Amino acid sequence: MKTINVCIGSACHIKGAYKVINKFLKIVEERKLEDLVVVKAAFCLGECTKAVSVKIDEGKIHSLKEQDVEAFIDKYIL
Amino acid sequence: MKLFCDIAYDSINKQNEELCGDKVEIVHTENSTIIILADGLGSGVKANILATMTSKIAGTMLREGASISETIETIISTLPVCNERKLAYSTFVILKIQKDGKAYMVEYDNPPIFFVRNEKKLILEKKVRMIHGKRILESQIQLNNRDTIILVSDGVIHAGVGGILNLGWQWENVSDYLIKQTKIEKCAKNISKKLIDTCTFLYDERPGDDTSVVAVKYREQEVIQLFAGPPENMDQDQEMVKNFLGAEGKKIICGGTAANIVSRETENEIVVDFETGNEEIPPMAKMKGIHLVTEGVITLSKVLENIDNYIRNNHIKQIPWKRDSKDGATKLTNVLIEDCTHLKFWVGKAINPAHQNPDLPRDLSIKIQVIVKLTELLKGLGKKVEIEYF
Repeated sequence: MKTINVCIGSACHIKGAYKVINKFLKIVEERKLEDLVVVKAAFCLGECTKAVSVKIDEGKIHSLKEQDVEAFIDKYIL
Repeated sequence: MKLFCDIAYDSINKQNEELCGDKVEIVHTENSTIIILADGLGSGVKANILATMTSKIAGTMLREGASISETIETIISTLPVCNERKLAYSTFVILKIQKDGKAYMVEYDNPPIFFVRNEKKLILEKKVRMIHGKRILESQIQLNNRDTIILVSDGVIHAGVGGILNLGWQWENVSDYLIKQTKIEKCAKNISKKLIDTCTFLYDERPGDDTSVVAVKYREQEVIQLFAGPPENMDQDQEMVKNFLGAEGKKIICGGTAANIVSRETENEIVVDFETGNEEIPPMAKMKGIHLVTEGVITLSKVLENIDNYIRNNHIKQIPWKRDSKDGATKLTNVLIEDCTHLKFWVGKAINPAHQNPDLPRDLSIKIQVIVKLTELLKGLGKKVEIEYF
């Protein structure tokens, strides 16, 4: 079970964190990945220049846009 | 239990008039608060001058400790005489509330004061006094928690005359309306706004007279401590969090990094509630011991916008934000307008380097300016606000 933390701090919010989270939730639901992964919103992850910041468990910070979400799941979750 | 005088007022002008012929003056002295509502004869410039002089003279003299008799004498001998009516005239009502909750009222030709206690109207015992040939009514009462006093100009009592109501709204009906509103509304500003809004409606948006209301709600203090942004110097984190959490009242945190610092120092977990977010406002979080945890500058900017709209808009039914909305800005706006009587901002001056990124809107770096503007607006609503920088 992996946890995807999506930053919802000010900078990430402006850069579309809301859309990124919804995209994650949508894909998890569509592809029935609930047993593999849980999506959580996180307060500022401290890497505001990499907005939207996304982190798997305690791993490194990735910078994502809404359209990158699908590929991100394929690469890091599956 | 500490009690607080929550005071608010609103006015609408007679149609086609640029100036209001009613005037409200509020004076704070060391031991008391003095509120004066004057209604000048006629309308427009003339009435405005009469009402302004009356309220200013009364405010200044009473603040300096003059007696009511001296004050009234001065008003009467100072007011310019109206050329048409050969009269120098302005009605007024003076309400003085001492720190210990004793209220003293002086009325001259105004509609009788509305006094609501325990959801019922209370008829005050009034003594008649003749001062320089003028009939003055005096009354005194010890205020209890949740007592509400409403002062109005006769524009309220006559609302609807010549339009949808033959005799106007009338005192008894206004009184019944106010009793209902004091049950529903917690803060003075909402009562004042609703009353003026209803008058505007009864006048069909074309007021036949200047119409004013002052609402005073004697209620429990509600102190809010609002932590916005981490201290400039990280060494201060621990002490600031300790002082913040130890301070009196409800705690609110606006800002992700500020929340993270409190979480680190208290070892209480932050749990983000994604459901409370939307495309405009980032979600809130929950943390033990903290009333609200929100994002920082976007939320605060929205709160500023909400409160600014609230103050400017007389139509309370068209409130500029949705009260049932779950987002952080709405929640915080409601807390600040309705609950809060005393507010302290704990503002850290640490600069988030990412917010200087030219890619991002300039708004992100303006948190301190937003807080300063918010402070001005909230002070205008009668709240005691202070800012401390770290």
